[in-house]
Amino acid sequence: MKKALLAGVGLSLLAASPALSQTITVWDWKSGDPVAMSYFDQAKAEFEEANPDVTINYVMQPNDQYYTILGTALASGAGPDVFLLNGGAQARARFEALTDLTDLSGDLVGLEEFQDEDGTVYALPISIQGFVVYYNKALYEQAGLDPETPPQTWDDLVAACEVVAEAGSAPCFTLGNREGFAGEFILSSLAASMLTEEQQQAFADGELAWSSPEVTAILETWVSTQDMGWYREGANSTSKFMDEYEQFMRGDAVHTIGLMSDIAHWKQFDDFLGAENVGVFRHPAPDMAFDEPRMPVSGGIGYGVNKDGDNVELATAFVEHLASAGPIQTFVNDAGVVPANTTVDTSGLSSPSVISILDWLEPYGVTTAHANVTAAELTEWQRQSQLLLNGDVTPAEAAARLDEVQAEARSDD
Amino acid sequence: MATAGKKEKRVLWIISIPMAILALSCVYPVYFALNNALKDNRGYILDRFGLVQNPTFDNFVQAWTRSNLDTYFLNSVVTTVGAVALLLVVSSLAGFALAVLRFPMRRLIFIVILASLMIPVQVVLVPFYQTIIGLGLLNTRTGLIISYTAFFLPFSVYLMTSFYAGLPRELVEAARIDGAKLIQVWWYVMVPMGRPALITLGILNTLYCWNDVLISLLVLQDQRTLMVGIAALRGEYTTNVPLLSAGIVLAAAPIVILYIIFQRQIVSGIAVGAVKG
Amino acid sequence: MSATAARPATARPVRKPKKASYGSRAERRFAFLFVLPAVLLVLVFRIIPLIWGFFISLTDWSGLGEAEFIGIDNYAAMARDPNFQDSMVNTFVLLATLPVWIMLPMLLAILIHQGVPGGKLFRAVYFFPAVLSSVIVGSIFNVVLRFDGSFNALLGMVGIDAVDWLGNSSTALFSLIGVQLWATFGMSLLIFLAGLSTVSKEMLEAARLDGAKLWQIWIFVVIPSLRPIIEFVAVVTTIGVLTNMFGLIYVLTAGGPGTATTLPEFLIWLEQGRLNRPGYAAAISMVLFAFMGGIAYLQIRIMSRNANI
Repeated sequence: MKKALLAGVGLSLLAASPALSQTITVWDWKSGDPVAMSYFDQAKAEFEEANPDVTINYVMQPNDQYYTILGTALASGAGPDVFLLNGGAQARARFEALTDLTDLSGDLVGLEEFQDEDGTVYALPISIQGFVVYYNKALYEQAGLDPETPPQTWDDLVAACEVVAEAGSAPCFTLGNREGFAGEFILSSLAASMLTEEQQQAFADGELAWSSPEVTAILETWVSTQDMGWYREGANSTSKFMDEYEQFMRGDAVHTIGLMSDIAHWKQFDDFLGAENVGVFRHPAPDMAFDEPRMPVSGGIGYGVNKDGDNVELATAFVEHLASAGPIQTFVNDAGVVPANTTVDTSGLSSPSVISILDWLEPYGVTTAHANVTAAELTEWQRQSQLLLNGDVTPAEAAARLDEVQAEARSDD
Repeated sequence: MATAGKKEKRVLWIISIPMAILALSCVYPVYFALNNALKDNRGYILDRFGLVQNPTFDNFVQAWTRSNLDTYFLNSVVTTVGAVALLLVVSSLAGFALAVLRFPMRRLIFIVILASLMIPVQVVLVPFYQTIIGLGLLNTRTGLIISYTAFFLPFSVYLMTSFYAGLPRELVEAARIDGAKLIQVWWYVMVPMGRPALITLGILNTLYCWNDVLISLLVLQDQRTLMVGIAALRGEYTTNVPLLSAGIVLAAAPIVILYIIFQRQIVSGIAVGAVKG
Repeated sequence: MSATAARPATARPVRKPKKASYGSRAERRFAFLFVLPAVLLVLVFRIIPLIWGFFISLTDWSGLGEAEFIGIDNYAAMARDPNFQDSMVNTFVLLATLPVWIMLPMLLAILIHQGVPGGKLFRAVYFFPAVLSSVIVGSIFNVVLRFDGSFNALLGMVGIDAVDWLGNSSTALFSLIGVQLWATFGMSLLIFLAGLSTVSKEMLEAARLDGAKLWQIWIFVVIPSLRPIIEFVAVVTTIGVLTNMFGLIYVLTAGGPGTATTLPEFLIWLEQGRLNRPGYAAAISMVLFAFMGGIAYLQIRIMSRNANI
């Protein structure tokens, strides 16, 4: 309260002396990315034009040390004014350092990952993220499958993989699990269709154990795909975001579980394989809780405002601008993200894949299970998913270990 | 070294074959980096190991502009040169005292410096950062020079101490008994005798400072050094290997060129240090 | 043997100071002056932060706001944490390979110093992997060591079955160790070369005239006189492999499969950067610190029999 008052006084003082210029420092790990640059540049240019005394200073940090650096700076009371966060556990761990942005979130979806239990929003998402299965239509045709009728049910998918195996040229799925990301993706993809909404919520709250029949069934399904020979050997030494998608783009695998925003998504695949050769479907599952598969989606990345910063009000205004329809429109057009802002016009996107994806967003999809569990559980699942693939542990053993982590993580809360 | 006999020479020739293979493997990353830096990303994804088909310098241009190499380069040079110079002076003084001079608490001081070598960097980040802020050194090159010196000092002092301790003792004793001022002993005896170790330290510390990312990220936030610019070329999940290779080639080039140019001096410097016993 | 007789010429790194052996007043004063800058820097930037870190390890601090004092809870949690235990097991495996980390560069340095054909070239070239950063090294070995990579292809030619070197729980750690060794042996080599330059030429020639064979000279004259340097490399390498492998782990295996390549250093990064538990990360750091101290003590003890620390 006192701080806000002081900040207010500071602002009015500054307004009275226009000669003083202010810098808003923004930390991220994205602003150097060529496809995202036009978005960042536009947001900066527009904001600086509207506020001539303000300079926006993007500081791009190397991704691997981002949270180490951010944590050190925040702990020392010297954090940036604005910073980018991944939704879910990483955002939740920093709510304490962030300003309440609830009032600015009216047009946005994907807020769950940036909200506390009371519904207070601490960061504004700019994109939403989710998982779908992409397939190579040319390879479908070669194997004798109809490229226009992708699998709808688990049995369809199993049958398709059998046909692919007989054709023998490429594996059914390319799989990169070096960081445990393949495990992460499959967890959310299967949970979206295998758990009811109540079960998803219970899982997110730590009330549904990993050893419950419902969750263990997901682990068993993961192992069964390996047993059915869907993957090439060596998945645990293959990185997901490099090797796996490169393999798909080289036409060396029939399917891959990909994203809908940022990277490893329709735009990148279209560029490589040609839009007409890229197909997409929602990941089916055995024993689905619904009539048709569901697509897991969640808030992707979002901007928060450091509540101890020197320019909280200006910083807040800039975050509002970063998440607003104008710059986001550019982000959508150039980087091919699926926007969190519902007022953005996506009708200009012509790729058949993204049209399907946007269609499945209505009504807004199921939350992603991996983003709802605690960071400790997710990290342990990444490890266990590798051990399951190697056959080092059974699903029951993995579930038992994950139960321990779940219990420990929840007791910390 | 003792000269080898005829038969021994033949053995050395045979040994040089596996050594040459090892040398080839060490050249390979240079080839890999150069070759891929000339590819575009698509070319790299389609064929990672093949020789570049349509060489492009686009990656170098992009790496240069995107990581602001021109402005970051100066920061890297200033901080590296400053820190290495400081490290050499401070560590040879301390090594001289710890290895040769006799004074109380020598043991304790040596142990403290040795122990500080073993502190995992993560645990000291926050207090280190607060100290830098407290001393008003945040976002200054001086701050980074002092930070580098502090971080790489334990290693340097330890090496100098080990090296001086390995020298024939009579030499030092003689210099001391002569009644020379100790600062002169340091400058006229210890520094020349320590040349092999000082050159080695110079090389290693240059490499450590030049390649550092973490300390520089914290201390020099609004200016940055070269390697930080390069590190930021890595994406969140994907790395554009050709672009990164170009960045790394650009960043490593000064070091490699210096090393090769001064190779002769380095070798002879180390040889000159060889003492007659 | 004449070589052993010549050894007193080299001194121990730190001699036992007897009361009477302190130097003159001027010597003591200069000595303090000489170590002062080093001591100050180390105290301010390393030792005091370490003590601060120790206090953090006794709290449940999340990185923000208040920290609650929880005594040794973090240390107790470590005893129950299978991931930490695995990382320590990995550490012992890593330490078991230390003799190779020391002997390989030493042998190469002696050979180069002896004038092996091509030695000057090798000397320059062996340093390249260290210059080119772990990202490039990681990118190369990712592809070389993968299941359908060139290493397996090579083994296939001599009839050895393909192995997923980095993805298999039993081979991943050794693959990682091999790559790191390859990437850093050039640094130790450089230090050994500097050390070799102090070996007395007259002593070697004398041994030669006594009719000693080359390998005998190496073992009985050269290596003993390198002792301070061997000890240095042993200690520094131990610390290096336990605190400097993050870059390679991050690009090569990400600590997996499971915990197969998770070393304490990587676990500290995970707990602090990803799981936001700096208190727990600090506790692991303290244990790692104490562990390295213990190992270094043993090494120095073994290396210099009458060393005084």
